[in-house]
Amino acid sequence: MQLDPSFIWTAFWQIFRAIPTTLSITVVSVLLGFAIGTVTALVRLYRVPVLSQMASAYVTFIRGTPMLTHLLLIYFGLPMLIDGLAESFGWSFRSVSIPMIGFAYISFSITAGAYMSEVVRAGMQAVDRGQVEAAHSVGMTSFQALRRISFPQALAAALPNLANSVIGMLHGSTLAFAVSVVDINAQAQIVASTNWKFFEAYLAAALIFWGLTALIERAAALIEKRVGAYNRGGVA
Amino acid sequence: MIELKRISKSFGRHRVLQDISLSVKTGEVVVILGPSGSGKTTLLRCVNYLEKPASGEIAIGDFKMDCSQAKRGDILRLRRKTAMVFQQYNLFRHKTALENVMEALLVVKKMPAAEARSRSVALLEKVGLGGKLDEYPSRLSGGQQQRVGIARALALEPEVILFDEPTSALDPELVGEVLEVIRDIAREGITMIVVTHEMGFARDVANRVVFMDGGVVVEEGTPDDVFQHPQEERTKQFLRRITPEANWVI
Repeated sequence: MQLDPSFIWTAFWQIFRAIPTTLSITVVSVLLGFAIGTVTALVRLYRVPVLSQMASAYVTFIRGTPMLTHLLLIYFGLPMLIDGLAESFGWSFRSVSIPMIGFAYISFSITAGAYMSEVVRAGMQAVDRGQVEAAHSVGMTSFQALRRISFPQALAAALPNLANSVIGMLHGSTLAFAVSVVDINAQAQIVASTNWKFFEAYLAAALIFWGLTALIERAAALIEKRVGAYNRGGVA
Repeated sequence: MIELKRISKSFGRHRVLQDISLSVKTGEVVVILGPSGSGKTTLLRCVNYLEKPASGEIAIGDFKMDCSQAKRGDILRLRRKTAMVFQQYNLFRHKTALENVMEALLVVKKMPAAEARSRSVALLEKVGLGGKLDEYPSRLSGGQQQRVGIARALALEPEVILFDEPTSALDPELVGEVLEVIRDIAREGITMIVVTHEMGFARDVANRVVFMDGGVVVEEGTPDDVFQHPQEERTKQFLRRITPEANWVI
């Protein structure tokens, strides 16, 4: 079998239309994951009774199991839960009306949350205790000190790792094919299956992923430069 | 008027403060001296509740709280009446000099931004940093950072400013500029409690010197009394160690 360079180009444009699916999975899982991760990290840092033990269990379980397994557990487990509840409470809602991509959103958000909680936690620990004391000394509440002083600096410190998480979720989103969501990778497979030019199709998919990743890295570098200006003593 | 009554504090089994009482009159500058581990910094930190005293009473003006049953609201009120200048400056590193001073005015006092700004600019000018308003702490020298720290403490017009070894982390050539600023605000009649190892400064500025050791007040009096005629053996030993040329040595 011979390489067909022109098909790479053809496949490239056919795969292009799957970009919104991939990006939506990435964006949803990163945003929800960040929210879950932040709450999880704070609960653990402030040692909230009961919740912090639950948070630790969540993080170790999710980080200790593959992302594909999370997707399958949600895909098979969630409908049982929802339908069971619907039956006993007499709701008309049934799990069949959940779109396939919904399972990807939910399970990948849960995955991202566990990883991002560690990123946020490391960022919070990078802010020295003295600044929080200073905030308290002028009469700020713990919440004000968190919101105004430690959290913004924690985010700045965590940015490189957050960018890594975003890239990880972008690439991880390919697993959504397991619940028949057509993302970039699945689209490549579909494109190739008509003429068996799998290598060309996956190469085109790889180029698209590479391009998207480069964009994320570029954006992260720009944000880092802006947000981290105070560290280099520059004036914003 | 600030009154500390029978303040006690332990770290594990170690009793750092043993029933300490101290009263400071409005406008008075009290310098606390003592060897390291004597509890002087802990006492200072108890006054604005960065350390929680196990028991005792703190009164500032007409506000009074019992430390053994302190509520969140009490702690916030106490902190709003006091301000701290830290050994390590502890400036907010993501905020400019001006924003550092404005922060509490905006967040704690809910002051309109324009008013907070003009007050903060005036304070920074007073500590000689009118030209550094928009600099981040990372671009300021230690002495400049500490002066921002002092301006930040002054901003809320606290009833007392607590100085925790404000010059100990500074290069020797920067100590003078910070002490000068503290001297200036002492002259304005702001109540201060200062923990320091700067004996010359203590002698100059203090109305009263308190010598602590082992979690208790060993001796207190005017700077003259304590430096020239110390009564207690522990005070004499301490002063001999840090001021070998002192003229009371016989």
